[in-house]
Amino acid sequence: MQAGFWNRFLVIPGLWLLALFALPVFLVLGLSFGNVDEFGVAVYGSPFDPAGLDNYKDAFDPVYVPSLIRSVTYALATTAICLAIGYPIAYYIARFGGRWKYVLIAALVMPFFVNYLVRTYAWVALLADDGLVNNAIVDLGLASDGIKMINTPFAVIGGLVYGYLIFMILPVFAALERMDPSVIEAGKDLYGSKLQTFLHVTLPQTKHGIMAGSVLVFLPTVGDFVSASLLGGPDTYMVGNLIQDQFFAANNWPFGAALTVIMMAFLLVWMIGYLRTVARDARAAV
Amino acid sequence: MKGEDQVDVFEQRLNRRQALQAGAGAALAAYGLSACGGSSSSSGEEVFVKPEIDGDLLIFNWAQYMDPAIKKSFAEEYGVEVNEVNFDNMEAMMIKIRQGGGPYDLIFPTGEYVERLRNEGLLASFDREQLKNAQEVDAFYDNPSYDPESKHTLPYTYYTTGICWRDDQVQGMTGSWNDLTNPDGEGRMFILDDFQEAIGQANLLNGFELNTEDPEEIEQSKETLLEQKEFARGFSTNSVQNLVAGSASIHQAWNGDVVNTRNQVDNPDVFRYETCKEGVPVGSDTMAIPNNARSPGTALMFIDWVLQPDNAARNVSWNGYPQPVAGAKETFQELVKTEPSIDVKLDDLDDQAMEYGFESQEGRELWNETFTEVKAA
Repeated sequence: MQAGFWNRFLVIPGLWLLALFALPVFLVLGLSFGNVDEFGVAVYGSPFDPAGLDNYKDAFDPVYVPSLIRSVTYALATTAICLAIGYPIAYYIARFGGRWKYVLIAALVMPFFVNYLVRTYAWVALLADDGLVNNAIVDLGLASDGIKMINTPFAVIGGLVYGYLIFMILPVFAALERMDPSVIEAGKDLYGSKLQTFLHVTLPQTKHGIMAGSVLVFLPTVGDFVSASLLGGPDTYMVGNLIQDQFFAANNWPFGAALTVIMMAFLLVWMIGYLRTVARDARAAV
Repeated sequence: MKGEDQVDVFEQRLNRRQALQAGAGAALAAYGLSACGGSSSSSGEEVFVKPEIDGDLLIFNWAQYMDPAIKKSFAEEYGVEVNEVNFDNMEAMMIKIRQGGGPYDLIFPTGEYVERLRNEGLLASFDREQLKNAQEVDAFYDNPSYDPESKHTLPYTYYTTGICWRDDQVQGMTGSWNDLTNPDGEGRMFILDDFQEAIGQANLLNGFELNTEDPEEIEQSKETLLEQKEFARGFSTNSVQNLVAGSASIHQAWNGDVVNTRNQVDNPDVFRYETCKEGVPVGSDTMAIPNNARSPGTALMFIDWVLQPDNAARNVSWNGYPQPVAGAKETFQELVKTEPSIDVKLDDLDDQAMEYGFESQEGRELWNETFTEVKAA
């Protein structure tokens, strides 16, 4: 009786998932098999239509390969940099933050209340040729003409790192928090150097935090278009930009939808790989 | 054992009735979503608008295209809020309107896009005669081809497309589209992020018709664009911003942009504009009211406000574009005296061959695909 009553509440998350996840995915799928009519309006289709798979054929045209490779490269670089910056920050806060620990985490999260787009615009102002950073460089006499920073791949990756860093810090911080500090002492008691203790005790214990952080950074970064469109140049076009342009410039929603489906499938492979590793480790831990 | 009970609750499978309940909820949600989708594509009744204040105004326009003082004075005069949202290109504007975005009260489509919006029944209509300042509009804009009965639009500005550059950084400009790849501007050159302007100048450079839809010619223009891209710093329609911020030495731009840029910098003299000998694309931007506007009456009042001679004159000296209304003409001629290159005459707009447009939807798709491929390469 009681069980039946509580089960009814599953309708709400069920609705949520169906309306905001399953249904949109089906719409995108339907669109990806469609085409554009003579007025330029997108028409839904099915994979059994004679031209139903045309968008997918187009998507594998070699002209789009560079954008895909570029996106994955940028995403991998971003993930690596986020780890290199995020891990020490999380480590420092978790180990030495003391009573300031949660204040420090809150301070890190604070900027993320501001919209990503707005924050990226701030970087445009900072990195521009006549921007604050370049003015400082010229004033300090480091380079007479300043350095061209904006509209380069470095600016794009920098924007991505800044945008997604917190998704690395938080899971790593949580993993470090969960770890029993006495195992570090145990490592030292066994005459492990600081580095050895870190490599053989701390790092393996926080492996899942690192993996979760990497997935959380990698997945949205591959599909990001904001950083490349604001901080990038002509040679930083990512898959996200390609998809966005199909919807908001080239007016080819069906092609954009097909690209989206391919991208989701591609990311799903990574996601499944991650979930399997976690599940395997969980079984091994029992 | 209470704890175990709770675990059971959540692990129990949903029975058939509960599954049906969830399904019914989903169907309801789906219905709600599709209803939202339905209301946006407004191929319903065409709204007829009267000039009367009926709410706050939301303008959808290019960035830096209207003197903020015009909006401010209107807001003060009529006690309404005037807000503005910007688009980056015509296609994006069109898509937002088609989706029912905003809903925006006032948009600024080119003639070509007026025709497309009109064909889809997305524009409200009004009677020009009811506006105080509409009779000041040049007769050139009576019953234009894109608005045969003059009931959807009034003209905002007209323009040429050319090249803006800084003569303190770039030497040896020749008045040709080849100047985009002037070596002095390498890595500091921008091409307009607009598939028509980008491909159009390449067509002209190759000696083709501006609006060619011949696949071989477009292929050749694509190669031209790819070569130019090697030289470029980016594709962008925020030309004024790029010039003012100092990121651009050479920028494909519209004629008013040089005036607008000069108005915002300490070294106005270094900014120059030229039209190109291979061909000068021209066009008109209009003011129109989407059919789903929330405050169409206020929008129409605002159109009248923009056409009012003093306001028009002030706007021209701010954004640098000619407006085909009394008051604005004299102001523009003053600007032309200091910068002859920005001049454009209404007669120039008679040449349909120099205005963007497509014969077929296939042509439009070919151009779009080509530009996508250039950007993705």
